[in-house]
Amino acid sequence: MSIYLDHNATAPLDPRVLEAMQPWLAGMHGNPSSVHRPGRAAHDALESARAQVAALVDAQPAQVVFTGGGTEADNLVLKGVCAGRPDGKLLVGAVEHSAVLGPAEALAEAGWEVRRIPVDSEGRYDLKALDALLAADSVKLVSAMLANNETGVLQDVAAIAKRVHAAGALLQCDAVQAAGKTPVEFPALGADLMTLSAHKLNGPRGVGALVMDRRVDLKPLIHGGGQEQGLRGGTENLAGIVGFGKAAALANEELKARTAHSQELRDALEAEVRKLPGVRVFSGGAERLPNTLQFGIEGLDGEWLVMELDKRGIAVSSGSACHSGSGEPSHVLTAMGLEPAIAKGALRISFGLGNTGSDVSAVAKALHEIMTGRARKMAAVGW
Amino acid sequence: MSVNKIIYMDYAATTPLDPKVAAKMAAHLTLDGVFANPASVHAPGRAARAAVEEARHEIAALVNAEPSEIVFTSGATESDNLAIKGLARFRKDKGRHIVTSRIEHKAVLDAVKQLEKESFDITWLKPGADGLIQPEAVRQALRPDTVLVTLMHANNELGTLNDIAAIGRLARANGTTFHVDAAQSAGKVPIDLKQLDVDLMSFAAHKVYGPKGMGALYVRREPRVNLEPLIHGGGHEQGMRSGTLATHQIVGMGEAFRLAGELMPAEMERLTALRERLWTGLQAIPGLLLNGHPTQRLPGILNVSFPGVEGESLLYACEGLAISSGSACNAADREPSYVLRGIGRDDQLAGASLRFSLGRFSTEAEVDAAVQLVTTQYRRLAALAA
Amino acid sequence: MKAVAGAPMEYGEAVLEHFRAPRNAGSFPPGTPGVSEAATGTRRHGREIRLSLKLGNDGRIEACRYRVYGCPATVALCSVLSERLRGLSLDEAGKLSGMALAEELRLPVPKRDAALLLEDALRAALGGYNMAEKRERA
Repeated sequence: MSIYLDHNATAPLDPRVLEAMQPWLAGMHGNPSSVHRPGRAAHDALESARAQVAALVDAQPAQVVFTGGGTEADNLVLKGVCAGRPDGKLLVGAVEHSAVLGPAEALAEAGWEVRRIPVDSEGRYDLKALDALLAADSVKLVSAMLANNETGVLQDVAAIAKRVHAAGALLQCDAVQAAGKTPVEFPALGADLMTLSAHKLNGPRGVGALVMDRRVDLKPLIHGGGQEQGLRGGTENLAGIVGFGKAAALANEELKARTAHSQELRDALEAEVRKLPGVRVFSGGAERLPNTLQFGIEGLDGEWLVMELDKRGIAVSSGSACHSGSGEPSHVLTAMGLEPAIAKGALRISFGLGNTGSDVSAVAKALHEIMTGRARKMAAVGW
Repeated sequence: MSVNKIIYMDYAATTPLDPKVAAKMAAHLTLDGVFANPASVHAPGRAARAAVEEARHEIAALVNAEPSEIVFTSGATESDNLAIKGLARFRKDKGRHIVTSRIEHKAVLDAVKQLEKESFDITWLKPGADGLIQPEAVRQALRPDTVLVTLMHANNELGTLNDIAAIGRLARANGTTFHVDAAQSAGKVPIDLKQLDVDLMSFAAHKVYGPKGMGALYVRREPRVNLEPLIHGGGHEQGMRSGTLATHQIVGMGEAFRLAGELMPAEMERLTALRERLWTGLQAIPGLLLNGHPTQRLPGILNVSFPGVEGESLLYACEGLAISSGSACNAADREPSYVLRGIGRDDQLAGASLRFSLGRFSTEAEVDAAVQLVTTQYRRLAALAA
Repeated sequence: MKAVAGAPMEYGEAVLEHFRAPRNAGSFPPGTPGVSEAATGTRRHGREIRLSLKLGNDGRIEACRYRVYGCPATVALCSVLSERLRGLSLDEAGKLSGMALAEELRLPVPKRDAALLLEDALRAALGGYNMAEKRERA
């Protein structure tokens, strides 16, 4: 029996979401841009999903643009605001997801000046440093995430928004990891643009959304067909979008219960983990997502630990799935100033729907076994 | 749902999922299935990766390519954008001339227009009255600084098939990259990329009974084609397209392409016969015109113009039949089909045209019912206007 | 093809119902007394309407016929007008507004110019009677 504790990498589809998708997988095959009857039913389904996604983040349906995923949405924002325009400056957080850092690097190669906002040792953006960066010269766009995918640390986006707007710049907030795990209110955050992904909240993969202030002048990434008010060409992934809508509606309804449930499990495991020798919980002193626990064990290889747990049927990760197996310490932990010795020992456990207290006991037991076994082995070889 | 009572003849717009595809997708979504992130190193992640690679193999097999030449995207529109903008931007120092045609899919037209804004020089080839782009026209358009020729294999409105073998040879001889939008043709007619001088080819899953929001781009390895990515990030798909792989979508496309290959010989024959039955049945209407080349075409598409009636009324009168029309039916798009105008039809005929596209679940009985319906409604509208 | 961008154009049930079964379509046999005819629009521009009115002995419109080439909205407008005109005096008919009919049918805004074309046809046909009246008086 395997235990899945890697919900930040991807969350399995909620069976209720699959049920909502089923009619669109079987039979109802209209293209939403068609005029005939199946096309009209498709159009209605598309708009109702848009309203559901908007409701999850307290936005207007007209502010929601569907994309082919969170990475595409982040690319759409960064390149759509910056590419092909007279230069300005782009600020990106040092601990952003690669979906933001990737396009930022591409813009840097194309001649854009890109600066990184540093973080403190808990992984929170340094607001004083941000002020200095904003004051230095004209910034066009700032990209700062709401919740970090590795540590789970929550950024004070509202405070960042105030500063960014005072400097006359736009704020993009990657809320991919936060939505469905903690309350996300687009108007209260104050961001001009915000990105979401369905599969992080038990919806299907291959669907994301951009939530935006429609006054922002954004150039499309994918041209052709004029869908999504010209911002994103291509026949809509209807089953996926309907699934996203349903997943958003369920997350909205059940947010309190989900938060409490995952926090209970996470806190219980964290208490166990803190008993391990040489352990350090990352961002442990900061506000975090309730479902995420990332820690390091001095002198240990995180990838090795992942494989050891995998042998015992427990699926976790060392950090971001995108960088799995690279062997490099993560840019997030490096930015936090952690020594490579502990950063390389990182393990991330992320809870979600379907996890129980017995999963916590199983992981705690496995970790103790692995650590004891290792200590015994090391003693035997005379370390 | 009334949706199920109507006759669906719009397979070129989109196809229903084959039930086998739907079943395979459903098995790759929930906790009891192969749901994990294929980039994860743990066992569930490895299972997802294996499923993804199997699908890549199926897709490559349909068009006789190598699995490593297949890059997954969110659909043919993204594939076209990645191929066209990605190639042109990567090679812009080598030259800034692009050859395409006026009757390409919007995804190609809009991507090329974007490049025109980025000061690329575009040659817009005009098709013949038969809807085909003559290789000779391509030969004359090629220049030493031509970096890209992008032409569709099958036209989505007419169903006509360009001679991509001949055009590819010309492009290759000129050192020009050749991109082909094969969204309409892949899985409908044989494509052998080992025999064709095609460097980039776009595919859509939902035109072949696979999921919407899923596509692929073939990127030739030998000679190697380099692209500037459209979506940067975690470096997925050999760095050409970042973003968490949607396992269920990918296995859906793999299964759809596998089925298409398996059924192709029989389907080509069956759909050609159905199309002929439809065309013959409609002959009761005087002055009916076939749009596009009579034989160099896809089996399942028939596009005809009806003289003397107004296009939008014709489309609405055919309710009960899910079909596409050359007329402009919404506020955003007030021009009749640019493809039909492009092959020389006047506004009336371009507007009063219907595209019947048949597919895997079409039957003789449906064709006969459609003939009956269209003929009756045509006569009614013609009498109203007489 | 057809719908490339945006939402499909939605016609209300009233439009579709008249379009499916237009009332009073056709024309009067040649030589029918009391008939005035007018045509507006061209096929090249997508709409053509030929409206025929028949005046009864009581000076009221006895019947209305039409031939129409155009979109479903144009057809529905002709059909509704043909019903509405029956029994009206020429003055009353002259007060009918095309835009009011368009509102009544809840036509999508881009289709409302069809109502103006129809109103033109009505005015021209009614104008035919006024001319005849003037000639009689003279």
